[in-house]
Amino acid sequence: MTDELTYSTVRQLAGLLGDRSVSPVELIQLCLERLERLGPLYNSVVTVTGERALALANAAELEISQGRHRGLLHGVPWGAKDLLATSGGIPTTWGAAPFKDQQFDRDATVVSRLENSGAPLAAKLAMIELAGGMGYTHPNASLTGPPKNPWDRGRWTGGSSSGSGAAVAAGLVPFAIGSETWGSILSPSNNCGLSGLRPTYGRVSRYGAMALCWTLDKLGPICLTADDCGIVLEAISGPDPQDPSTHSEEFIYDPQFQTGRRYKIGVLKGVLEDAQDAVKQNFEAAMTILEDVADFEEMEFPEFPYTEVTSTILMVESASAFEDFIAEGGPQNLSAPGYHGRGPYARPAVLATDYVKALRLRGVMARQVDGVMSGYDALAAPTSMNTATPIDEEFRSRSMTSSGPGDLMGAVGNGCGLPSISVPSGFDADGLPTGIQFMSRAYDENVCIAIAREFQARTDWHTRHPEEPPQ
Amino acid sequence: MQPNSENKLEQDLLFAMVKEKYGHLLTEEQLEGVRAAVSGLRDVFHPLRAIRLTNDVEPFTNFRPFRGD
Repeated sequence: MTDELTYSTVRQLAGLLGDRSVSPVELIQLCLERLERLGPLYNSVVTVTGERALALANAAELEISQGRHRGLLHGVPWGAKDLLATSGGIPTTWGAAPFKDQQFDRDATVVSRLENSGAPLAAKLAMIELAGGMGYTHPNASLTGPPKNPWDRGRWTGGSSSGSGAAVAAGLVPFAIGSETWGSILSPSNNCGLSGLRPTYGRVSRYGAMALCWTLDKLGPICLTADDCGIVLEAISGPDPQDPSTHSEEFIYDPQFQTGRRYKIGVLKGVLEDAQDAVKQNFEAAMTILEDVADFEEMEFPEFPYTEVTSTILMVESASAFEDFIAEGGPQNLSAPGYHGRGPYARPAVLATDYVKALRLRGVMARQVDGVMSGYDALAAPTSMNTATPIDEEFRSRSMTSSGPGDLMGAVGNGCGLPSISVPSGFDADGLPTGIQFMSRAYDENVCIAIAREFQARTDWHTRHPEEPPQ
Repeated sequence: MQPNSENKLEQDLLFAMVKEKYGHLLTEEQLEGVRAAVSGLRDVFHPLRAIRLTNDVEPFTNFRPFRGD
């Protein structure tokens, strides 16, 4: 049973569980065994939540046997980035040594919603400490050690939802929840060859999730397919009185959304300039593959300090969210104090007037960007300009207190709270995945998922999986 | 005052504030890193400050008065 189930999609598992050809208990036992045995090889797991998962799987088995099938996620195991609060004595470490024993007496809304859908939480997954909020330059910035990429354990998973990426790529869980303030869902999706969706800001409740930046934080799924991302997003989204920033309308995933139509996709001028050869080649091949359903057009955003606006908001909100921690010298006790000793301490030097100016400019930016994007169904770009970097190397030298051309798609997308999905676009000569992202207008998740689904209907990159390490 | 010297003065004052607040937590080497990071902030500030906004442009946030009953 195990081999064919290990990399089954959520939709496939839903069919197998629904017609009772697979038992929820057998499925969770498979995941728990793999999490225990393989998780440490990738530094991807903080806590295996076996008892809690088995209880829910047993309940799912009983309900399904009685004909009470709750839906596509009933009995499907999953993993949570370890910044989502869980009750019952399960630690929520935020990936950071100073919080390794932290416990909550409540569940994050996302956890409750998935468990109410009948999906057993199998594990709390590794992450970059404090979601990278203190700044970091090396993969070792994690309580559980540098997260290792299942495609090559000498390479990094990306971050900060590192364990969420590694666990799905290694077939430890069928899907996981990650979070993104700036890049933290798309980066591991790119590096691990997965489909990851950053939803519109406010689409998913942040209640019970570690706050890094209140107006930038988003929670979203990391899965094997774009279709699975839609299924999971529907389950976790919706208004929540505990999080006033949540959007009032429910998200209903439509797997047939606008099937058969042509899409107009914008590509930022010069977006491939800094891309590795394989990333560039795979992106161009992806555009060719999509030509029978999409028209591509080179475009530009008007001149505007997108990166500076988003960086300023990020610096100030993260400095405030961790004000006491920083003032008490907490960053010195993180796993990568060499950098943390400097990064967070500069942020209180951002003046209040500059922060408010950034918030005012954000409205200008949101309207301006939406005006441009209204001419397109989505923008496409490589998710990252490079494949996974070596596990022991610095992956970027630019700190959050400096600016530059950097990641314009990330600055615009996160600053304006726009949805984006990353799906695998191929591999480089070393067998490392590359990714392509499709970013849509606010609340248009069904559009970017539909384009990604069209791409996956024409490619098989998402069906390829890394070799399992020898026993 | 020339713009460059004004910038330098602002960076020095901001660094002095940070040093006063957190200096006891940091080594000399780390403090130099903080000084460089504070200096780097000018690259973030300048493009924001260079844009003039009219009085009616409000912060893109959503404040709503709260009433519990």
